[in-house]
Amino acid sequence: MELDAAQNPNPEPPISAYYQTRAEHHAVVSSDWLDHAAAAASLPDAHADADAAPPPSPGSNGGGVIEEFNFWRRKPEAAEAVAAIMALAAVIRSSRATTMMELEIELKKASDKLKSWDATSISLSAACDLFMRFVTRTSHLEHEKFDAAKSRLIERGEKFGEISLKARKTIAMLSQDFISDGCTMLVHGYSRVVLEILKLAASNRKLFRVLCTEGRPDRTGLRMSNELAALGIPVKVLIDSAVAYSMDEVDMVFVGADGVVESGGIINMMGTYQIALVAHSMNKPLYVAAESYKFARLYPLDQKDMTPAHRPIDFGVPIPAGVEVETSARDYTPPQYLTLLLTDLGVLTPSVVSDELIQLYL
Amino acid sequence: MQFDDVHRVEKAKKRAIVNQSEARNRVELFRHLPQYVHGTQLPDLESKFFQLEPIHPSVYKVGLQYLSGEVSGGNGRCIAMLLAFREAIKDYSTPPNKTLSRDLTAKVGSYVSFFIECRPLSISMGNAIRFLKNRIAKLPITLSESEAKASLQSDIDRFINEKIVVADQVIVSHAITKVRDDDVLLTYGSSSVVEMILEHAHELGRKFRVIVVDSRPKLEGQGLLRRLVAKGINCTYTHINAVSYIMHEVTRVFLGASSILSNGTVYSRVGTASVAMVAHAFGIPVLVCCEAYKFHERVQLDSICANELGDPDVISKIPGRADLGDLKNWADNENLQLLNLTYDATPSDYVSMIITDYGMLPPTSVPVIVREYRKEQLWV
Repeated sequence: MELDAAQNPNPEPPISAYYQTRAEHHAVVSSDWLDHAAAAASLPDAHADADAAPPPSPGSNGGGVIEEFNFWRRKPEAAEAVAAIMALAAVIRSSRATTMMELEIELKKASDKLKSWDATSISLSAACDLFMRFVTRTSHLEHEKFDAAKSRLIERGEKFGEISLKARKTIAMLSQDFISDGCTMLVHGYSRVVLEILKLAASNRKLFRVLCTEGRPDRTGLRMSNELAALGIPVKVLIDSAVAYSMDEVDMVFVGADGVVESGGIINMMGTYQIALVAHSMNKPLYVAAESYKFARLYPLDQKDMTPAHRPIDFGVPIPAGVEVETSARDYTPPQYLTLLLTDLGVLTPSVVSDELIQLYL
Repeated sequence: MQFDDVHRVEKAKKRAIVNQSEARNRVELFRHLPQYVHGTQLPDLESKFFQLEPIHPSVYKVGLQYLSGEVSGGNGRCIAMLLAFREAIKDYSTPPNKTLSRDLTAKVGSYVSFFIECRPLSISMGNAIRFLKNRIAKLPITLSESEAKASLQSDIDRFINEKIVVADQVIVSHAITKVRDDDVLLTYGSSSVVEMILEHAHELGRKFRVIVVDSRPKLEGQGLLRRLVAKGINCTYTHINAVSYIMHEVTRVFLGASSILSNGTVYSRVGTASVAMVAHAFGIPVLVCCEAYKFHERVQLDSICANELGDPDVISKIPGRADLGDLKNWADNENLQLLNLTYDATPSDYVSMIITDYGMLPPTSVPVIVREYRKEQLWV
């Protein structure tokens, strides 16, 4: 447990580690905004140096999984969930278990450890659960020799990791049909999948315009607009409250997701719900780009029906004493406001999410 | 069967054990449904007991319990029926020159038609009968009679345990995650699984309040209310007339269901649709709790095509109000028809979530469950 405390950037429960990591990776602090813009033009990936470090050799104890996880997590390109999948695959590889049962227990322990590392991250726990299901699903494993079964698990684990790594590219490819020349799209905050989609569209010589929300409180939208501008895409930044004002010039809305839940709705960065409501009332399609490892067996009934995830908000001026601040980091968008989900399993309507989950967990 | 088809009704009458007396003043829109004539049948059937050889006594007993309303509720009726079949199978012996699987299927068929005469089948019962007939048909030919009977009895026990008892426990464990402290939960009528959820939440020490909404003529909510209050749960009791008044203080609506159809329509106690619609209008989540064995692949858009008619007299007579005699001889007036419906259909738009033994699902996933459930039944 001591090790956990050392590794988790924010061991205190009120602040969500998931959103803190995102902020570190994607946020732009206004003071170094210009330097960043300049740096982005010359150096495509400011965090690339993290790749230089060799992966730690994971021990068979639970601590290893966190180390491995952290190694992958430090790369801003790798999603936290993919890092977890890689770490779990490494657990199988380095396991010294001699029976299937032992291996499964070990895997379960590692997965629980990862999940408890940050309970506020939906994609982390969803990816751990999905990995466990995917790897240990078929029952006829029991009839094989242990070594053969283990190598099969490794194979499956690696396959799952590979699928997850490729997911973003697959989604970008699938979503090209939705972007037509001359369209204007609205994006909210910084989403790596959405960026990948727009990048591919730009490289396919599509002509389109992007409106970026600012993405308060960590201003991830500024980072998004920065990267889009570097690609030569016409981009305009809005403050979060200007969404309804600008909606009439928008043809479609693209958002990412922190988690896709069983109802087909999404849990995403604060502000997604109100954008979805505005888009719905103005009859604009809203597309969600999300990798399938974000499908979680959760079913929130309303906004408060989730594990709370908080993050600090800087208002620039001190908050008067006795004033409460809403620090929740995410909201839930019900499925009726989503048009389609663009996932690596294909383009899905929200109701298919639950079908996929049932088939996987049944 | 279409009960407005004169020829077929005539034929069915000849076969019937239960005396079919003609109902008067039928409501035009509901002529195709079996008309309610139960009141006069009970003494008639009781006197026939010794003349009816082919009906097993335990089946006969359960049939009379349906008729008198002593056994009611989707799960209760289904379990009673299965236990009766179990007894009947235990006492069964194949007649000479006949094979077990064919003769027993016919026998079960005759029991089922007896049950239908007592009270139209619920969808849960229909599914259970389909399961049992399927098991009989699939019996290996090599089994001896006693082995076959033992296998069928254990199948019935397994069905009751897995699909009803354990399924309810799983539903409770899912539903409990949606009950928070300081919640106000509304329920309508009396559903056995909702009752289990409320009791379990109370055992876990959650601090919540329950509003039991009830309606005439059955007033089933009073039984639920008595049991909940006895457990020390804070309750409010009201009738469905006041549901829009009480709804603003509610945080969750828990409903039971007789069946869930594949377009997500919830087929349940009449009044459920109104409660769900009022909750939807107030933006309050509606959770429907239903075991997967009650799901049906049929699609229904209204409450007219398939329904059950209850006793029209119970709406005209109000106990304790002898002064309200306006409807005393209502049957003599040809222009007056009374309609007492038993079920209604709630469109899926008004349902936020369905809680089944397969987890918490949106109403759009019902076809998936129907499909997977069938698959499982084939393999078992």
